[in-house]
Amino acid sequence: MVELEVWAEKYRPKKFDEVIDQEHVVERLKAFVKEKNIPHLLFAGPAGTGKTTCAFVIARELYGDNWHQNVLELNASDARGIDVIRYQVKEFARTKAIGEIPFKIIILDEADALTTDAQQALRRTMEDYTRTTRFILICNYSSKIIDPIQSRCAVFRFRAHSEQAMKKFIERIAKKEKLEITPDGEKAIMDIAEGDLRRVANLLQAAAAISKKIDEELVYEVASLAKPKDVKEMIELALKGDFKGARQRLYDMIIKQGLAGEDIIKQIHKEVYKLDVPDEAKVKLVEKVGEYEFRIAEGGDPLIQLTALLAQFLLLKKNMKT
Amino acid sequence: MAWTKKYEPRSLRDFVNQKDAVEKFLVWVKSWKPGNKAMLFYGPPGVGKTALVRAYAYENKLDLIEMNASDFRTAKKINEIFGSAMRQRSLWHRGKIFLIDEVDGICKEDVGAINAILKIIQQSHYPVVLTANDIWNPKLSVIRNYSIPVQFKKLSVWDIVKRLEYICQKEGIKVEKSVLRELASRSQGDLRAAINDLEVVGRGKKEITQKDLQVLGFRDKETEIFDALKMIFKTKSPMAAKLAIINVDRDPQEIFWWIEQNVANEYEKPEEIAKAYEALSKADLFRRWITIRQNWRFLVYMMDLMTAGVATAKKEMYRKFTRYEYPQRIKMMSLTKSSREKLKQILKILSEHLHCSTKTVLEEYLPFFKLFIKDPNFKKSLYKILDREQIEFLGLNKQ
Repeated sequence: MVELEVWAEKYRPKKFDEVIDQEHVVERLKAFVKEKNIPHLLFAGPAGTGKTTCAFVIARELYGDNWHQNVLELNASDARGIDVIRYQVKEFARTKAIGEIPFKIIILDEADALTTDAQQALRRTMEDYTRTTRFILICNYSSKIIDPIQSRCAVFRFRAHSEQAMKKFIERIAKKEKLEITPDGEKAIMDIAEGDLRRVANLLQAAAAISKKIDEELVYEVASLAKPKDVKEMIELALKGDFKGARQRLYDMIIKQGLAGEDIIKQIHKEVYKLDVPDEAKVKLVEKVGEYEFRIAEGGDPLIQLTALLAQFLLLKKNMKT
Repeated sequence: MAWTKKYEPRSLRDFVNQKDAVEKFLVWVKSWKPGNKAMLFYGPPGVGKTALVRAYAYENKLDLIEMNASDFRTAKKINEIFGSAMRQRSLWHRGKIFLIDEVDGICKEDVGAINAILKIIQQSHYPVVLTANDIWNPKLSVIRNYSIPVQFKKLSVWDIVKRLEYICQKEGIKVEKSVLRELASRSQGDLRAAINDLEVVGRGKKEITQKDLQVLGFRDKETEIFDALKMIFKTKSPMAAKLAIINVDRDPQEIFWWIEQNVANEYEKPEEIAKAYEALSKADLFRRWITIRQNWRFLVYMMDLMTAGVATAKKEMYRKFTRYEYPQRIKMMSLTKSSREKLKQILKILSEHLHCSTKTVLEEYLPFFKLFIKDPNFKKSLYKILDREQIEFLGLNKQ
């Protein structure tokens, strides 16, 4: 496979010793691998903390260079329904593992995207193939995984990376890529990344594409360039009284760019606090945002519900004038 | 040969829907004796009134004596055609059936035409079928007494799609179901119109796409929806707003998008827009409940909110001319379907390389790509994974 030159992938650890932080997890995983047997695993934790990486390392340690043949990578948020997953698992589990290890590994990322019913079905699938496969389930919140699955897995919690860990990662990349990073530049990266190493790598690569010398200013510039501003601009249009313009932005985001209504409303929620409106109005708006998010969660059409929410922002502008 | 002719049903098996009407017709025609009443088929155009009689005649090898009442000029002409046919036996002892099409097309000046028709009904040795669009036309009051009315309903989108699909298959045309569905729904239950449209876009072609539909003009039914919008937006009476959509023969969801599209075109005050959208938001939730619970009772609330709810959102009627727009939602959905497919495909490729979900690619990686691309190594590797067109689609070729 052609390697895409993305640093988050390029600097993804290949051995346990390269994994940054998460010692508590790594030690125990090492022990499993040494015995050449693993139970079903459940990795929970925030984005960019090494969950997928550890799953890959386990596979590499167990199977060596041929690990791809014995690993099925699935993503629950992309596989259309549990039936698709079950079918893929069935097909994959039909043939024996290549090599001395008697089982294959199925990595199911974003397992918390599965509904409770789908998880029940997954549990049965795990039981059906337990002799020939091991599951590594990955999720952000283990609380979203049903108890019967949790009880069948060894559960590992991954913590958001500390500043020290991020620093280590930054320095590793800087050395290999021959970058010069100022201390305030480093600090800026850590502030923005919030413990997410994928974001660290992305910020570094983006900054490095502009200059090999990276300082605070460059980091913030890169971060703001990469940050989608559509939501902010949409709200600003509504607040200025340009309802039709705001609605148009919304249509572009949902229909053209394919963004999910839930994600847009989450961003709106974040933006509310940054608005230049009285604090009282902010609280009122948050209440409205919650109300419409609820309606979307109830199955309302995101376009119509978000447009209705925009109308509430429009209303705010009017109330502020009077 | 026009497709409407070519694909006319030759037997009742090919006949599309209208089960009630067909049943009534068969019972009547099989037990018909001279002196019995005629049968009066009524209903909107293009739903099979004439086609049923023709198909029956064809299948049972009957001579069909057909006359279009729009051609009626005088009683004399009518007698010319029917007079002899009524009494004489067919040459090969074939039975006969009479069809007088579009009886509501007779003008007032056609003195005696109605009487002539009555005479035919009373004296015929063979069954007589009349067709009309509007059975309540006063001109037909006498005829109604001498005939059994049978209603033909508008055809459902599903019925029409099935038939169009059959035609496409016979003509060897590749077509997506969504395209047929759009053709069917714009025909408003008129199969003949749908087949005509299909022929316009499909004759001599191997494939029909969404794009091809653009050549079709809107049939004049479009005015219906504009009138309804005008009513809803201009009235302050909830009842009048509710009644506005009663005769609009469209899917409630489609009417919903028409109203939604034009709220901000009509209303100017923020509180009116907010109020109208609040009603639409709730109407949308009822729509959702209809679909998940399959409880159609909720439909009345959806409709009331989207009409009366929007109408009463305004303080006063706007005395202005508003140019109502075609719903962007419906337009964009079909236009950008292919582009959303393209994006999905790109995200899938990238997600395999980046070992994460397409959503993560979209949110965490793509925003950075426009910066990464300045790095020649990244650029080179990206061109190995995506093709030129895909990179252009992402807008990364300009950087």
